[in-house]
Amino acid sequence: MKVVLEVSNLWKFFGKSPVLRGVSFSVREGEAKVILGPSGAGKSTLLRCINLLIKPDRGSIILDGEEVTAPGVNVARVRSKIGFVFQHFNLFNHLTALENVMLGLIKVKGMNRDDAFKVARESLLSVGISEDLWSKYPAQLSGGQQQRVAIARAIAMSPRLVLFDEPTSALDPELIWEVLRVMEKMSKERMTMIVVTHELGFAMKVADEVVFMDSGAIVERGPPEEVILRPRNERVRRFMERMQYVYSLK
Amino acid sequence: MSLDKLLDLVNSYGSFLLNGLLISFYLTASSYLIGFALGVLISISRAYGPGFVKALCQAFVELTRGTPMLIQLFLIYYVLPRVDLALDPLPAAIIAIGLNSAAYQSEYLRASMSSISYSQWEAALSIGLTKLQAIREVILPQSIRIAIPTLANELIYLFKYSSVAYFITVPELIYVSKFIGSRTFLYIEVYSIIAVIYVAFSIAATEAFKFIERKTSIPGLRISARL
Amino acid sequence: MNGFLTYVPVILMGVWNTLILSTAGFLLATLLGLLMAFIEVFSPKPISITVDWVTRVLRGVPLLLALLLVFYGLPRVGIALPNIASAIIGITIVDSGYQAQLFRGAIEGVGERQLEAAYSIGLSKWAAFRYIIAPQAFRAALPGWLNEFTIVLKDSSIAYAIGVTELFTQAVHVAQVVLDYLQPLILVSIVYFSICYPLSIISERARRKLLAMGVAAV
Repeated sequence: MKVVLEVSNLWKFFGKSPVLRGVSFSVREGEAKVILGPSGAGKSTLLRCINLLIKPDRGSIILDGEEVTAPGVNVARVRSKIGFVFQHFNLFNHLTALENVMLGLIKVKGMNRDDAFKVARESLLSVGISEDLWSKYPAQLSGGQQQRVAIARAIAMSPRLVLFDEPTSALDPELIWEVLRVMEKMSKERMTMIVVTHELGFAMKVADEVVFMDSGAIVERGPPEEVILRPRNERVRRFMERMQYVYSLK
Repeated sequence: MSLDKLLDLVNSYGSFLLNGLLISFYLTASSYLIGFALGVLISISRAYGPGFVKALCQAFVELTRGTPMLIQLFLIYYVLPRVDLALDPLPAAIIAIGLNSAAYQSEYLRASMSSISYSQWEAALSIGLTKLQAIREVILPQSIRIAIPTLANELIYLFKYSSVAYFITVPELIYVSKFIGSRTFLYIEVYSIIAVIYVAFSIAATEAFKFIERKTSIPGLRISARL
Repeated sequence: MNGFLTYVPVILMGVWNTLILSTAGFLLATLLGLLMAFIEVFSPKPISITVDWVTRVLRGVPLLLALLLVFYGLPRVGIALPNIASAIIGITIVDSGYQAQLFRGAIEGVGERQLEAAYSIGLSKWAAFRYIIAPQAFRAALPGWLNEFTIVLKDSSIAYAIGVTELFTQAVHVAQVVLDYLQPLILVSIVYFSICYPLSIISERARRKLLAMGVAAV
């Protein structure tokens, strides 16, 4: 299958300390890749590098055959092809749910309001946000609803790939499932996605490949059953033991 | 001061007072708009501009806020003619008060901008907006909304401060009152009348803005206590 | 230099009147403002509302107009005061309205929860105010209070309207003699700026420090 994203030998330093040390992987079309690892492992930085919100110091990122880390690339155009779902939703506070989804369609894709509305409507419905919520402002929505609107905002742009940065970490436990369900549905519809999360159950069910990062590098990768249930690396095993204590998996 | 005298005064000089009031309004509105436009420009430059522009804007803001408006007014009215830029009293006052207000309005906007979290900026870029679009579509609308109470306050301030244009003979409310006083020797009566006018407009405007603010408020969009 | 330099001392003599005018007006306004704020917060509703309206009226009058009213009004009721006294009264009246608002905001900003906690450990109403509300309100008001002084200092130049020989008036008089406004105005700008700017920096620092302590300045 076609490779959508290819990350090779990515390095990023904050000051002198390396946050990413030579990360390489590729993502095929329709693949769901889950990145696991302790906090501070560089997962979030990696996603931000891919979306060019942070400029990597070394290495290359190739999206659909185009090297987006090359100088002179139109950064905004690249970002419009990659969706990003943030841990804290980051909906635009001054816009309603509907307007949040429409903004990019109008300003980035240059659609007129009617067309933008049609697309926004489809996306909102596909994440289960019903019409009565469209005119609500972010502060009037629950965390789960906000995150689903944020997902709608990302997929409305028909991105080649969607990045999720711990999308459920800021949610109350009983709201997590409604977001995960939407993500699972996206994956079934063959949306290409990279998901940073601590939800092992989701990873088991949805991931095509699990990547485990620690201290800025990939330390283990493979099918979810392998990495999560039978990790080879000592560091990963300890992490999984703790996670399995929390989630009582197995 | 009898009621008859007062009515007499309003009868014979009411149109003067009305004209003065209109000039005060015009002066306030024009300088406020200049102040707003420049204030937006300055606050954006100070947040996102290159270093020397930032420094320039900061110098302008600090110098303006650190000196009396009266000095700025006199500089523009009395000193600019030396470089062949003689302005009539009213335009001179509009420019001086407008520049003064720009410094203050830029500070109000800067405060509200800094209260918007970085994640809004990241989200704007993530959907593919350019920096300029992100400022225009996301940062600025939020900053202005958040700053509405202070910006409204500034307008009421300016209405009162517009009276300093009196010093350079702009025929605003206080200037015409003095003129009427000099004709009738009823200084206190005239001043009392316009005091009532000033107070009435200030209080009415305060209430009106509170009402508008309530009506246009967006849930969750206000200056957070930033604790 | 068209003789400007010989007039520098003349202008600078105005500094004293500016300082007397603004400091006296400001401190008297603080007393009056505190009084009105206390009444607004702690007295029964009808009184509180009345005082609130008084402060609104005071805030609605331009300082220039207040000065003219005092200056022309007092002699009419048989009180003859030197110009500078009229100016101090005018500044006090107008600024007390603003300071009342400042102090009221500071007291009310401390909040119900602090009061609840104070009562919960058995403090009396007075003790709660003395040990819990007042110290916090004082801190919250400090940056705004300093800032208010810079406003009064700058606005004291409006006393030019009633002929008080303060800094700005002196500058204008000298300007009219030496037929040049630029140099005198620059000179007095430097004086105003060298007082206001440090104060505004101190005010800003205090604001930030208080924020770090968990006190939101008014």
